[in-house]
Amino acid sequence: MALLSPTRFLQIHTSAVPRSRKPSPSVSCSAENPDLDLSPARSSIPSLPAAPSDRKSNLTVFASATAAICAAAGGGFLFHFSSPPPPSGGGIGGGGGGWGWGSDGGGFWNNVFSPLPASASEDDQVSGVEWDSHGLPANIIVQLSKLSGLKRYKISEILFFDRRRSSTVVGTEDSFFEMVSLRPGGVYTKVQLQKELESLATCGMFERVDLDCKTKADGTLALTVSFVESTWQGAESFQCINVGLMQQSKQVEMDLDMTDKEKLEYIRMQERDYRRRIERSRSCLLPEPVQDEVVSMLRDQGKVTARLLQRIRDRVQRWYHDEGYACAQVVNFGNLNTRQVVCEVVEGDITQLSVQFLDKLGNVCEGNTQLAVIHRELPNQLRPGHVFNIEAGKQALRNINSLSLFSNIEVNPRPDEKSEGGIIVEIKLKELEQKSAEVSTEWSIAPGSFGRPTLTSIQPGGTVSFEHRNINGLNRSIVGSVTSSNLINPQDDLSFKIDYVHPYVDGVTNPRNRTFRASCFNSRKLSPVFTGGPGADEVPPVWIDRAGIKANITENFTRQSKFTYGLVMEEISTRDETSSVCTHGVRALPSGGLSMDGPPTTLSGTGTDRMVFAQANITRDNTRFINGAVVGQRDVFQLDQGLGIGSNYPFFNRHQLSSTRFIQLRSVEEGAGKLPPPILVMHGHYGGCVGDLPSYDAFTLGGPYSVRGYNMGELGACRNILELAAELRVPIRNTYIYSFIEHGTDLGSSKDVKGNPTEFFRRVGHGSSYGAGVKLGMVRAEYAVDNNSGTGAIFFRFGERF
Amino acid sequence: MAAQIAREWSGIQQFPVATQNKLHELLGKLKLENVSTLTILLMGKGGVGKSSTVNSILGERVATVNAFQSEGLRPMMCSRTRAGFTLNIIDTPGLVEGGYVNEQAIEIIKRFLLNKIIDVLLYVDRLDAYRVDSLDKQIIKAITDTFGKRIWQRSLVVLTHAQLSPPDGLNYDEFFNKRSETLLKCIRSGARINKQEFEDFPIHVALVENSGRCNTNADGEKILPGGTAWIPQLVEVITTVIANGSKPIMVDQKLIEGPNPNERGKFFIPLILAFQYFFIIKGIQRAIKRDIETESRPAWELRDMGLAEGRF
Repeated sequence: MALLSPTRFLQIHTSAVPRSRKPSPSVSCSAENPDLDLSPARSSIPSLPAAPSDRKSNLTVFASATAAICAAAGGGFLFHFSSPPPPSGGGIGGGGGGWGWGSDGGGFWNNVFSPLPASASEDDQVSGVEWDSHGLPANIIVQLSKLSGLKRYKISEILFFDRRRSSTVVGTEDSFFEMVSLRPGGVYTKVQLQKELESLATCGMFERVDLDCKTKADGTLALTVSFVESTWQGAESFQCINVGLMQQSKQVEMDLDMTDKEKLEYIRMQERDYRRRIERSRSCLLPEPVQDEVVSMLRDQGKVTARLLQRIRDRVQRWYHDEGYACAQVVNFGNLNTRQVVCEVVEGDITQLSVQFLDKLGNVCEGNTQLAVIHRELPNQLRPGHVFNIEAGKQALRNINSLSLFSNIEVNPRPDEKSEGGIIVEIKLKELEQKSAEVSTEWSIAPGSFGRPTLTSIQPGGTVSFEHRNINGLNRSIVGSVTSSNLINPQDDLSFKIDYVHPYVDGVTNPRNRTFRASCFNSRKLSPVFTGGPGADEVPPVWIDRAGIKANITENFTRQSKFTYGLVMEEISTRDETSSVCTHGVRALPSGGLSMDGPPTTLSGTGTDRMVFAQANITRDNTRFINGAVVGQRDVFQLDQGLGIGSNYPFFNRHQLSSTRFIQLRSVEEGAGKLPPPILVMHGHYGGCVGDLPSYDAFTLGGPYSVRGYNMGELGACRNILELAAELRVPIRNTYIYSFIEHGTDLGSSKDVKGNPTEFFRRVGHGSSYGAGVKLGMVRAEYAVDNNSGTGAIFFRFGERF
Repeated sequence: MAAQIAREWSGIQQFPVATQNKLHELLGKLKLENVSTLTILLMGKGGVGKSSTVNSILGERVATVNAFQSEGLRPMMCSRTRAGFTLNIIDTPGLVEGGYVNEQAIEIIKRFLLNKIIDVLLYVDRLDAYRVDSLDKQIIKAITDTFGKRIWQRSLVVLTHAQLSPPDGLNYDEFFNKRSETLLKCIRSGARINKQEFEDFPIHVALVENSGRCNTNADGEKILPGGTAWIPQLVEVITTVIANGSKPIMVDQKLIEGPNPNERGKFFIPLILAFQYFFIIKGIQRAIKRDIETESRPAWELRDMGLAEGRF
């Protein structure tokens, strides 16, 4: 991970309560996560400060998020959350998130959303500060005002005393502990304690609150917070409204010298205003089950207390944050002292989407990429008017990353200063170099005489590659490379590949996603058609050299399903071991000689074919991961249609249809760390060819992707092919074991290939196998028994069979 | 090769008189059926006695026979005429090499037989071989693939080394029946002849003993352990096969090369292409569309689209 995104801090001003005269709660969440997990199975809910599941670790953060209740005004009509300045003066709070991704590391993502900076300042205060003894006799109760303003007192104990119940609240679980920013063991001055008292008194949770100090023998103080909790009349129903982007309700100061009638009028007016406000507000996303839960909380309680409201707030916020609405905040409880509690939520409505390009130093610069290219990758849920969800942000991140145009991508929600409660989604992108070229050389030292490398046997080999990406800012690219293992005499084995990719054929704003590709290539492969059957002598290999140009258009329907169609023009030449063109397959005779009259390697019989044909491939793939196991369906149809252009006027229709079903055998709960379900994989593959069929286009049976347990082409080469396979995967810990059974047959079509290579090389033409294996990371280790000979062997393979 | 001039069948005179008479009678019968040429093809594994059988039938030493190795790498045709009747016997090299069917030999035989008409195929094997294995089946299959299934309507099985003492506990007839039964079964499965076809054109089995120590009867005819003279019997079976109503096999270019699989069905390619486009590609496209519609979306996306309706 070379480029980590800098730690993001996010500040969201949720409720600017004019009356509290407090700075609005500035809540920041440091999202220090260069990577996020791509696997959808992993639940990537950031542990944002309000999530109670993480209460312990977030205690420090929430200590400051004190609720302030405007108890005095309007008979406790409105209930605002606000927070006093944090003790350390640092920016602590909750809500929001940001993340980035250094893409050139290419690694995985993790989701550590840690509120680290919040706790750091706290530690400074608690430890390592000297304190003064109170200098008073032990066990006397001292009023706060009687304390010396010059001393620094150490608080060794904090007790809560509920005056209404006349009991001491014990247990740190109580929500009041969150109210108080003081901590046992902390050292405070008189001013700090007075400030604390003031903030507690104005927070709205308490009707009355006092701080008493009790001296202790060791010079420390035991602090008792005696309070009377605010309560309102019991409520039976609950309503949640989205007040994002609405004006915060302004309250007119109530004159103290108002008459009763005026007061009544005033309260009525407020009630009316509030009703209008509810009507105007948008409905919120909070689902009925959670609302019902809150209603039952209200019913159980009877009276609405400050603590209950706090619990409701926690519950509502927890739901929002669990669901990825990272910017959602409960800002207010209204309509208290009526039969209905109204919870006002700012859900985080997106007001603006901005895309910025950064240069290497992180300064905003003008980007080369056209904005439309990025905009089409963004999910609708990130556009203005939608509620910000962290999952939508992640999807945007993934989509943009798949363009592979940027070395660093950040998607950050930022509060909108102009519109209260709004969120600006900022996308910051660092572009990759547009052009690059690379030359790499290597020496392969071949053993000379006596096995020692001599000077003549050292051949320099190498690769020259160049790239021109993102041409015109439309993600068009040209990539080319030339490789040779002998640079002195490169005509011996020169492999080259030049690709031109032209996305958005239908226009960058058109939702239809078609990409034009043209490439110029060559390749050399060992033909599995000219392979001996089991027990047969070594068959001299035949190499198939292909060189040509290809042009096609790919239409992407979904991320995995696509349709490709185009033209291929290529020259195919068949070569033997000595790289000279050969025309027929060769087989060693028992007498030791070579039989040169094997199947013809090419259609023309000269060893070189030229042809033009049309190619189409349609893939339907709706597989997805359930806890890491693939489930779904995949169908692929591939068609090569000869056009009668080329050597011997090849006219053919070569088609293949393969179908794979991944069937989930047991339903499991989805989530990170959960066991994947057992899976049954059913696979069928049919291939056939009508018309001219050169040997290099014949279907081959046997091999790790055909019938396991056999070598490539060991079972035959044929005109029609049918393969059937079933595999049962059973998860075990982090991996799975599997057993399989496979069968492949030529459907009697081997004789329809010219020269009958199946029979010429003494192959059976059909075969089945069964076995079992275990997946070890990327490697599959399997034991496969082939039914033709009845023997088994252990194989190690990379990647998946299906 | 075809231009080889047919010589007078002098060897027939070496046969005992009884045999000569019988042969003349049978040939005369054939002539009555307007058959004036008879081409017999012998095929089989190496070393079973094909060449010796040729020598025995013609009564001449036309094919050199060596007890220990086969030298017949090329097919050989001997033509003999007798009273306006031409008898062609084609001897072929053994079809087995190195435990496999020798395609090269088959290839040579095919080319040799080009433009010839085969009246009868004698599939030669030994009577004293006890077992039938997959190799026999492969040979049958190779013959079938070369000349077509029809050749078995014009063929008979010849079992050489007929003069043997069967293994313990079996009498001669029982052994012979068992042996021919298993071999016929092998032929039927190798050539995929079904029951009906086999009933219409049963494959006859004839016995041969080429050894000089073969027993003779009072007339000097070579006889089998059963007491029948085998040369007249063999020729008689051949005539019944010829008379069974099937057609002789004409070996031409088409038969040798088989139908060109590359040409087959070419005419239908446009239709196949249309089918593939309208049914397979369009079908998969429809399935993809369905997938997109039924794709399970995350809850947050559904809520955004207003589809949650407060349920989740």
